[in-house]
Amino acid sequence: MVSINYSSREVCCKIVYYGPGLSGKTTNLQYVHSKVPGNTRGDLISLATEADRTLYFDFLPINIGTINGFAAKFQLYTVPGQVYYNATRKLVLRGVDGVVFVADSQPDKLDENIESYMNLQENLQEYGYDIDELPLVIQYNKRDLPGVMPVEELRAKVNPKGRADFGASATVGNGVFDTLKMIIKLVLDKAKAAGNTEMPSVNQSAEASEVDREPIAPVRPYPTTEPVEAAAVMATPDTTSVGVPGAMTTTIAASAQPSTSAAAEAQPGVGVTEAPGMPSVDESGEPASRTFQEPESTQAEHDFKAAPAADDDESEPAGFRPFPGSREESSPRKITPTEFAPTPQESEGETTYEKNVLKSSDGGMNTGSSDLATPGMAPSLRRRAQQKKRGFFKRLFGIK
Amino acid sequence: MSDDTLIIYEEEINQIETLMSKMLKGAEAKCALLVDKDGHLITRQGFTHSLDTTALAALLAGSFASTKEIARLVGEPEFSVLFHQGKKDHIHMSLVGERSILVVIFDDRTTIGMVRLYAKETAAELASIFEQVMAKSNPNATQGISTEFADLAQDKLDDIFHD
Repeated sequence: MVSINYSSREVCCKIVYYGPGLSGKTTNLQYVHSKVPGNTRGDLISLATEADRTLYFDFLPINIGTINGFAAKFQLYTVPGQVYYNATRKLVLRGVDGVVFVADSQPDKLDENIESYMNLQENLQEYGYDIDELPLVIQYNKRDLPGVMPVEELRAKVNPKGRADFGASATVGNGVFDTLKMIIKLVLDKAKAAGNTEMPSVNQSAEASEVDREPIAPVRPYPTTEPVEAAAVMATPDTTSVGVPGAMTTTIAASAQPSTSAAAEAQPGVGVTEAPGMPSVDESGEPASRTFQEPESTQAEHDFKAAPAADDDESEPAGFRPFPGSREESSPRKITPTEFAPTPQESEGETTYEKNVLKSSDGGMNTGSSDLATPGMAPSLRRRAQQKKRGFFKRLFGIK
Repeated sequence: MSDDTLIIYEEEINQIETLMSKMLKGAEAKCALLVDKDGHLITRQGFTHSLDTTALAALLAGSFASTKEIARLVGEPEFSVLFHQGKKDHIHMSLVGERSILVVIFDDRTTIGMVRLYAKETAAELASIFEQVMAKSNPNATQGISTEFADLAQDKLDDIFHD
């Protein structure tokens, strides 16, 4: 069952290496793992006993890259070969798209090969698969050992129906990639035959997604909302047009994330993105392009911008940007004592403002800049410092 | 069930992700994965950037599948909830409909009870979405990958798989 995820743009296929015990299924995967470029494969996970016998399965994910905007992923599994592990072996076959049957070429293993093949057939039947219809490649492994059976003889016994087959030697790698390429080809052919051969909007949406996805997620490309123009056009979800995934994409952008769309509408062309881990939609209407790594900075900036422009009459020098915390501190204090209320002269500049504050509060008694309030200080901090100092002098001279 | 290709569109994924993030907030869990029983990751939410979610999905599905066999042996059709307790992080798995598993990873900031409560609620809602997905995909069961896609993929194989 090929899994197609239009949201994360993935096509995912499951390939299982089947065969009798010690026939070299895990070795196949190990060879693939060692030879395939690191960016193409994930880690090889082996659920094995201490003696390196597969207990449950080995797992190797392979991503052969983006095709038409969709990542083609293959998950390679092996099964435990021993007869008494049939229960777990059957579990691995669930949802399989293609099977590689790894046969042991040694003459004394022939019966095991045949028994394992019959077992494969039975287990597939239990899941409702027909072995003749399922993509299957047979690999005659261990060709490098002395005294192995000739391929023709093996073929007659193990592969009477003439499925695709390869001789191989998994330890040195002969035939491993031929087998893998063939099974992938068969799986894709099967999916193609089942398909309607049309993925109309894949190409169109692929271009958009390639651009959109790039800057967002470090690990996994996350679905992005489409540009607003497109989202606005697709007002109602058209659930019947299954064949047009691109249209669906934009529809959801409009319906599921109303506030982001609205925000983006204010500034057309701004791509609104959501990063993993920040699932909540930005309700403030700020069309900031958030990334997961730096939510704090964006938030801080946002706070600063969102703070009411009540300080405008104080008119700080051009280019002066107080850090966010200072503004928060200053705002409540501004309202309370009337003598600190800003006067129109303050708009002339920082120095005037300082004088006015001092004059109005202390009657000119406490002139001159204090040690606490230095000229480079943010106004709010300076005010605070002045206030502190005033309190000190008042106490010192007993002024009520 | 052998031949039904699972096709999930943006619309459903968005519904699913909204539900999952709501659950994460409510239960105060770290992250949540939605995994197909075959081992494919459907979607994920929360702090998953440090996790190898592909492998995790395959292993969790395997783990769930093996407990199903255990259930069968003790006369149960299936265990619907599975819980792994660790020193710091714990995993709660619950069945969603017929073919998916909702996995919630959480730590000591919340409790198993909270996670179970929210996961149960969310699993029921997710199940109804999946029913819609299946109902929708049945008339279009012939949907698959395009010829072009298959051909391009095969061209790539030679570049990647060589000795």
